[in-house]
Amino acid sequence: MATHHRITVILLLLLLVVLVSGSSYAIPAFSRQYGTSCSTCHVDFPKLNDFGKAFKDAGFKFPKDDETFIKIPPVMLGAPAQKDLWPHTIFPGTIPGLPPIGLRFNTFFQVVSKNRNNFNLQNPGDPTLQQFIPRTDFQPGFFSIFMAGNFGSDIAFWVDDDISVGGANSSGGLGDGYLKFINIGRFLKLPTDALSLRVGQFELDLPFSQARSWNLSGWDIYGQPNIGIIDPSFMQNVNNAFALSNAAQGVEFSGGHTYRGYHYSLAIVNQNTGGTPGSGANVPPVVTYVSDSNFKDLYGRFSYRFNLERDRASRNEIQAAGATGPRDHTYLNLGTLYFYGRSVQRFSGLASDGVTQTVVTAREPFYRVGGDFSFNYRTFNLFGQFLYGRDQNLLPTGLPLPAAFVPSRAATFSGGFLEADYLVYPWMMAIMRWDEVTSSADRINGIGADINNPPATPFLSPFHSARHRFTPGVQFLIHANIKTSFEYQIRPQQVVYATGSNVRLTSPFRTNSAVAGLEFVY
Amino acid sequence: MKSNALIAFVAVAALAVAANAGTISGKVSGVAGESVVYVDAITGKTFPAPTKQPVMDQKGLMFQPHIMVVQQGTTVDFLNSDSVAHNVFWTSIGGNKKLGHNLGTWPKGEKRPFKFDNPGAVSLLCNVHPEMSGYIVVAPTPYYAQTDKSGAYKIENVPDGSYTVTAWHEGAKNQSKPVNVAGDAKADFTLSK
Repeated sequence: MATHHRITVILLLLLLVVLVSGSSYAIPAFSRQYGTSCSTCHVDFPKLNDFGKAFKDAGFKFPKDDETFIKIPPVMLGAPAQKDLWPHTIFPGTIPGLPPIGLRFNTFFQVVSKNRNNFNLQNPGDPTLQQFIPRTDFQPGFFSIFMAGNFGSDIAFWVDDDISVGGANSSGGLGDGYLKFINIGRFLKLPTDALSLRVGQFELDLPFSQARSWNLSGWDIYGQPNIGIIDPSFMQNVNNAFALSNAAQGVEFSGGHTYRGYHYSLAIVNQNTGGTPGSGANVPPVVTYVSDSNFKDLYGRFSYRFNLERDRASRNEIQAAGATGPRDHTYLNLGTLYFYGRSVQRFSGLASDGVTQTVVTAREPFYRVGGDFSFNYRTFNLFGQFLYGRDQNLLPTGLPLPAAFVPSRAATFSGGFLEADYLVYPWMMAIMRWDEVTSSADRINGIGADINNPPATPFLSPFHSARHRFTPGVQFLIHANIKTSFEYQIRPQQVVYATGSNVRLTSPFRTNSAVAGLEFVY
Repeated sequence: MKSNALIAFVAVAALAVAANAGTISGKVSGVAGESVVYVDAITGKTFPAPTKQPVMDQKGLMFQPHIMVVQQGTTVDFLNSDSVAHNVFWTSIGGNKKLGHNLGTWPKGEKRPFKFDNPGAVSLLCNVHPEMSGYIVVAPTPYYAQTDKSGAYKIENVPDGSYTVTAWHEGAKNQSKPVNVAGDAKADFTLSK
């Protein structure tokens, strides 16, 4: 990858980190349906309060006596008594009385450090490589549509799609789109809510949702792939684009609750390793192909939430009974996650006879394992995530056309984040956040270059192999559905080397940025 | 024989009282929906507190009824009929912020009483459902009425005399005017927000 392309890509990534991972949703359709405010379910949308978590767990409906709260009655798709005739009739269901559509738009303004154009020092005489970055810039964000609700019989649905991104028409894509069959364990006489099934495309059941994060920028560790571009010495040969925040296609079994006690999920999903699916020219697909391998990845998560109220009755309720009114519980939530997959790389190589050209395939198993916690006391929430990732690293032998692969040192990374949210007022939340990613793949590929091991082609690069980011922020609800957010990103140190040498053109510097966002949903 | 005389005496006395009681009627205009009209405090006169306890319900994420008018000294029972947690609080009574109060939290099916000893409008709120809104208008006398949707009202059994009558409407400025009751009296109000 050429130097100027790297610069462009990384700077765009900086921007996209802000724009993409700021994706968030609150559901105005539910406000209309139940005649209630956003704050019934959200602390600072889209962050859910305990009731919102229970509402989501129940399949986007009130956990008890749902029908008594609905202000717009659903349309019956068959009289309830038709159930008695089944299987000789279609099982009756409902659709929401109003199309459960919500829309969202956001826009941003950003200020970048004065040193943002330091990278131009690399090739001062080449106008094609000069990347001018404005000090300040306005940036349109997303216009998104999202729909969610319940079809009766405990069948919930969700679809969200970005209609336009960054001011461009129809450049977005499908976020989540799924049906969730709530409490199917009842057919197996399992305890209530012990088993539900979700089918479609969805974000994995992460401890803290990146797709519906309330932060302007996403948590770095959830967006961390494990990519080691092949260098001349073949130190590393991993090209795994999988990141935990990627949308996954598959099925998920889950159970328990997110507002008390245990919660688990087990998902079987397509591989998502950046490969190119086959066209199916000779064996046409019934639909199409998304993944490029037979193997399906596996994801599992288990968590347990301890509600810490002294009063036993209050402890088991959805919300705690405070002296002056219901409130979120004081709780400690502990969880763990595990993901197992296989990354696939295909190369033009030689067969075992050493002559015949063929496609050789490297299948590199990888896993991600992590732990998380969340502690809440009244309006203060402290939470964090640790994640460790390991990819088997198969190096090709028999260059220039590889014939086989041999295991080498695994490509690993680790890191996480720690965040504290404090609701100063119901309309104002202060945020302190720290992100870290330490990646051997990053280091080998020069992103974390140091003076003793300079990259062959220097580019915008952190100065250390561990990337730390400290991000204070504050968010204000102007209305329950309008939010303005501010975030100051103290970014990792970077350094610029002269092309092809270890001569530093700059001292280590940070390209910090301040971002303000304004968004509304309706 | 003695008891017949007593009954006759009571009947005559009752008729005499009835003969001195009138009505105040009229219309509240300038606003849409129901309003409350009541006779203000009467100097030197107090009224026993009612023993009946009306119920202000929280049902379907709404205060029901939306507006309730009670006499000063009435105890109101606040009921939670929902299967979600609620609370009830108000920031003032009659504009007096020192009289703000929070009743706390209680489960479905239970009531929590509160005695309203101070007159004025009470704006009821729930701190988990900010869209919920209800009103209790505490009238200083037993002479009050709630209008119909057209704004018409009628306060009955008001003794003859001179009074100040006040009209209240959600979100509008109160309006008061003097009314002389000698039999039937009329008082119309035009409120504005």
